[in-house]
Amino acid sequence: MMSLLRKLASLRLTLVAMFVLLILVLIGSRSTTVDVSVTAIPLAVLSMNLLAAILANHTFRRQTGLLVFHVGLLLLITIIGLSVLIRFDGHVEVLQGASFDPRDVEVTAVGWLHPGHLDEVRFKQGDVQVEYLAGLTRQSTRSTIQHGATGAMRTQTIGDRQAAEINGYRFITTPNKGFALLMRWEPAGAEPVYGAIHFPSFPQYDWKQVTDWVAPSGQHLQMELNFAEPVSRPDRSWVLERPQSAFSVNTQTSDGTTLVVGKGGALALEGGMLRVVDVQMWIAYRIDYYPLLPWALVAALLAIGGLALHFRERYPARQGAGRTRKEEAADACIARA
Amino acid sequence: MPVSPALEQQLVLFGIAMLAVMTIVQLPAFTARHRSFNLPAGLLSLVVLAFAAAIAVRWLRESQGPFLTLYDILLSNVFSLSAISLFMIWRRRHLQMTLLLSGPLLFLLGVWLVNVPAQAVPLPATFDNYWLWLHVVSGKIFLGVCLVSASTAGLLLLARGAPRSGLAASFTAQTEMRTAVWSNLFLAFVFHSLMLLAGSVWAHSAWGRYWSWDPLETWALVTWITLGGILHARATFKDMPDSLGYWLVVGVFALAFLSFFGVPFISIAAHKGLI
Repeated sequence: MMSLLRKLASLRLTLVAMFVLLILVLIGSRSTTVDVSVTAIPLAVLSMNLLAAILANHTFRRQTGLLVFHVGLLLLITIIGLSVLIRFDGHVEVLQGASFDPRDVEVTAVGWLHPGHLDEVRFKQGDVQVEYLAGLTRQSTRSTIQHGATGAMRTQTIGDRQAAEINGYRFITTPNKGFALLMRWEPAGAEPVYGAIHFPSFPQYDWKQVTDWVAPSGQHLQMELNFAEPVSRPDRSWVLERPQSAFSVNTQTSDGTTLVVGKGGALALEGGMLRVVDVQMWIAYRIDYYPLLPWALVAALLAIGGLALHFRERYPARQGAGRTRKEEAADACIARA
Repeated sequence: MPVSPALEQQLVLFGIAMLAVMTIVQLPAFTARHRSFNLPAGLLSLVVLAFAAAIAVRWLRESQGPFLTLYDILLSNVFSLSAISLFMIWRRRHLQMTLLLSGPLLFLLGVWLVNVPAQAVPLPATFDNYWLWLHVVSGKIFLGVCLVSASTAGLLLLARGAPRSGLAASFTAQTEMRTAVWSNLFLAFVFHSLMLLAGSVWAHSAWGRYWSWDPLETWALVTWITLGGILHARATFKDMPDSLGYWLVVGVFALAFLSFFGVPFISIAAHKGLI
């Protein structure tokens, strides 16, 4: 058993695994066919190698700094591994004035052991404001949301430096935001239905506020949002928020007819009327679930602390200095002679 | 109070001129035994002062630190590499000879600096926090200490290649220099680790993710693994030839240098600073 442990603790195995890790990092990060998750293989080998070294190598255990560094690394790899297993990554666009609906979330990654509480998350989207400098340089983003249990709702303003954490899920604002057209579909002989159409991200696509939409009746429409006054001001500082100026919607039907309506106006379509209610903002959030990350920070700090301690143990200040200025000056004289 | 870009330019040009003079006055050391400590160190002090003043002037004018553009990165790195080299040779006088190799490199960085657009780009609000400072400062200390380690290794390689040269003869503390190669590389590893940690926390506030395998992150990790691998190899193979070790140290510095000055400016990844 001890012999196997010693073999597993081999320093040469460490070097081989590090080399493989290096190659897989390079391949995985660049390749479209090989995922970077393949680095888990050499990382698992390195973890076992390290654990075996801690158990089998007395010299290793006597060097406090080195031991702390490696234990910190082991903890870090373990925490990252667990985080991958329970993680969740996704994104969602939420309309100003509307409630977050988990069904709208586009999931990008979910771990095998993810507990899955997203459907319990509730919040209501409030105002959205994004500051810009001249040249369309984005500054701070402020998004107000209301969340909490019914009767104990609290208002929170989140932004670039402050995410909202609800049920362990973090909602992080993104640069992706724009305008949404709030509409009411009034079908003939039935109750009206409210809905919203999100236009492309603003101000990135200021020049192209056009989107295609299929009406509940199945009719294909192309809608273009126009404002009476320019919203973005590339030549000076400005704030992106729900526009106050008048707007109009140019709607082109599939037969080539163009209809223009403003706020409160209605379009007569097949099967009913489409009434333009208002324009609101929408904002996109990144959603993630990594509850162990604070512990990863602790493990990483522990590892770096151990490394610094080992440096002090291995290269004490006086040893590094080697010799005094007088000794050096004397040597310099000998060299000149 | 608005500060003229001309003053910044003059300070930069003065600093580069001092780097050129420092490089030239050291050239005889390659062949002759006689060498002076005070003159190169004094010139390097002037370089540090000139670039510190240029950064201060730019900072006052733009109301932000030199963090974003290639010009910013070159300006701050010529300052930090010079300042760290000066600090190291002040602490360990035998390392003064490293300026023979690091001096020309700093001069070339200076020449590069005056050939890139100096126009500032506003720092996005999400970039500006304490983690940025920790990330940048630890990164600069890493590269500075790595430069001293690689220059020392380079000098030892040159001296081995020409044992009868004035350069080899003027080595008065080869044992200390050998120690300095590895102790400084180890110190560089500590600061590189701190740079990666602070960088990932900062990336979260800047872009909403800790790590996304963008080219700069990938190459920084590759440099870290290589650095760790070299230190590990030295501990594993006690009889590894000194010259192989020195070549590895020079190689890892080249890798770090390319990661700092090559990757961020040839990729179009998010690390370039999307707004």
